[in-house]
Amino acid sequence: MNETSFGGEWIFAFLIIAVIFGWGGNGFNGNNAALAGYATTQDVTNTVNAAVASQNAQNILLSSANNNYETARLIDSQSMLMSNQNNTNLLTAVNGFNALSQNIASGFSTVNQNIADLGYKLDSCCCSIKTMMLENRLQDTQIALQNQQNIAVNQEQSQYLLSVLGSWQPKAAAAAAGA
Amino acid sequence: MNPIMNMLSGKGNNNIMMQALGAMMRGESPQQFLQNLAGSMPQLRGLNLNDLKGTAEALCKKNNVNMEQLAGQIQEFANSNK
Repeated sequence: MNETSFGGEWIFAFLIIAVIFGWGGNGFNGNNAALAGYATTQDVTNTVNAAVASQNAQNILLSSANNNYETARLIDSQSMLMSNQNNTNLLTAVNGFNALSQNIASGFSTVNQNIADLGYKLDSCCCSIKTMMLENRLQDTQIALQNQQNIAVNQEQSQYLLSVLGSWQPKAAAAAAGA
Repeated sequence: MNPIMNMLSGKGNNNIMMQALGAMMRGESPQQFLQNLAGSMPQLRGLNLNDLKGTAEALCKKNNVNMEQLAGQIQEFANSNK
């Protein structure tokens, strides 16, 4: 055995590892019993290829992770932009609503003032009408009183004239019919 | 898959053969490598690391393994992974 070509005692270390961990299969295969259960060059090549494939998969995963990170960052950035735009829109809307509310409040103030004025005018109008009615009633009373005074004067004058002309007949018509 | 392939592909023994190759390339001593490996591999404990050749021969004999042919395969494996 050429020990120097394998780094001195390393070959024995490999033998120990191979026997302890590599032996113990289900018996020997084919005609080469001593090689049964051990790796061929093709096996090793396949393993190396598998390692390369694993590295490629890691690179793909790393690339995917970077892409995901970049995507998340862009989404976050876009979300921030949208959030800012939404804030601006909300601020504009709130300002609009404030202006509208102020206009409505101002309008209501004017309406309230007009209603108050109208109420005042209605009250004044009612007062005038009541005054006129009272004045009319007073005038009617005065006229009625004057009429009563005139009647009384006329009666007194009539009685005087009748007393001058003759007897006073309280029921002149009945007396005339009886005569 | 044969046991060596299991080791190389990392199944069961965490790619021990490749670890050993790496240690050899780095210039580490096989005794130190096996000593470290024994920390996690109970099967390696109790080996006489002062006489690796004698230990390997004893293990091969005990398991009825042709040591020369197995050494040739290992050398081929190492050469193909340099």
